[in-house]
Amino acid sequence: MGLESLMGGEGFLTTTVNAIVNWGRKNALWPMPFGTACCAIEMMATFSGRYDISRFGAEVVRFSPRQADLLIVSGRICIKMMPVLQKIYRQMPEPKWVISMGACASCGGVFDTYTMIQGVDQFMPVDVYVPGCPPRPESLLDALFEIQKVVGEERIDSGKHGS
Amino acid sequence: MSEQYPAHAALPPSLQDLILDTTEHRGQTQLSCKAPNHRSLLENFRHEQGYDFLVDVTAIDYLGKDTLERFEVVYVLRRLGARRDQFRLHVWLGESDPTLSSVVDLWNSARWGERETHDMFGIVFEGNPDLRRLLMPEDFPAFPLLKDYPLTGRGERRQFPRVVPRGDQMVEEEPTDYPTSIGRGMHTPEYIEEVERDSKPRK
Repeated sequence: MGLESLMGGEGFLTTTVNAIVNWGRKNALWPMPFGTACCAIEMMATFSGRYDISRFGAEVVRFSPRQADLLIVSGRICIKMMPVLQKIYRQMPEPKWVISMGACASCGGVFDTYTMIQGVDQFMPVDVYVPGCPPRPESLLDALFEIQKVVGEERIDSGKHGS
Repeated sequence: MSEQYPAHAALPPSLQDLILDTTEHRGQTQLSCKAPNHRSLLENFRHEQGYDFLVDVTAIDYLGKDTLERFEVVYVLRRLGARRDQFRLHVWLGESDPTLSSVVDLWNSARWGERETHDMFGIVFEGNPDLRRLLMPEDFPAFPLLKDYPLTGRGERRQFPRVVPRGDQMVEEEPTDYPTSIGRGMHTPEYIEEVERDSKPRK
């Protein structure tokens, strides 16, 4: 019924290590939610039943950065929070990816004030941006698909994986 | 008008002379005085008149306005029980020496209000035992509610090290366009060593 029915009687599969590792990684992303504002409400909706991000393999939401490989920055980041965010990002083991969700995390949004970071990508790497204020859960799901594309294009012999 | 307000009327004449002005607007009374005189007035309100609750301490910056002094420090006083009422004492404070004596010994709740007022306006409350930053980072270099502080700041929001991937590690780069960094308390050498050890893949 599934993959095994295509493999013939002996159950062999010909692939590359790169492809099989990426296939596993991109379909079992463990997100670390970093929700600081209304985007986090939409993120929670995405995780829960109606939108159900677990359909795409990313339902194991980890509240410890040491167990996560996808950081979802959703909400305003102020200057007092930025060192915390950087610390959490650096505590995540490689390989790791980052979604910047919503206008505030991506560019500061409407909050052009002295306390607000005008985009977290100034100070840490970001792979996928989600527009919206706040983005709907469908947008975050689409960002997950984009991250899956990014993960699928990784090479396991690149420096990103510590090899 | 001024004699009608009970807190003013109950003051002894020597202290009444310290009150510069009394205004009433929509049932809210406001007394004002000059800077060093607030202490004896507040002591009287606390001990003689039973104002047992300091609601808030805050300040107003009148930069560019034609006022007596640049700052007004506002004490909101309330007393509970049978004689319950509330009024504000506004204290004029000059910008050359924005220093006031603390009233922490009269009301413990002044700790928070004075600390926030110091954080936002840079007004120093002498005698407050814990005048650290409250809302802003500990090493923030400015007082953001001053009227001459720009809304978007003076570049503080860009003064962070950048975490960038280099090889199999994440390293921190100092910003080149801004010389100093805030929030550095978290980026001690011990911390950097710790996260570099932790973020390396396990072999």
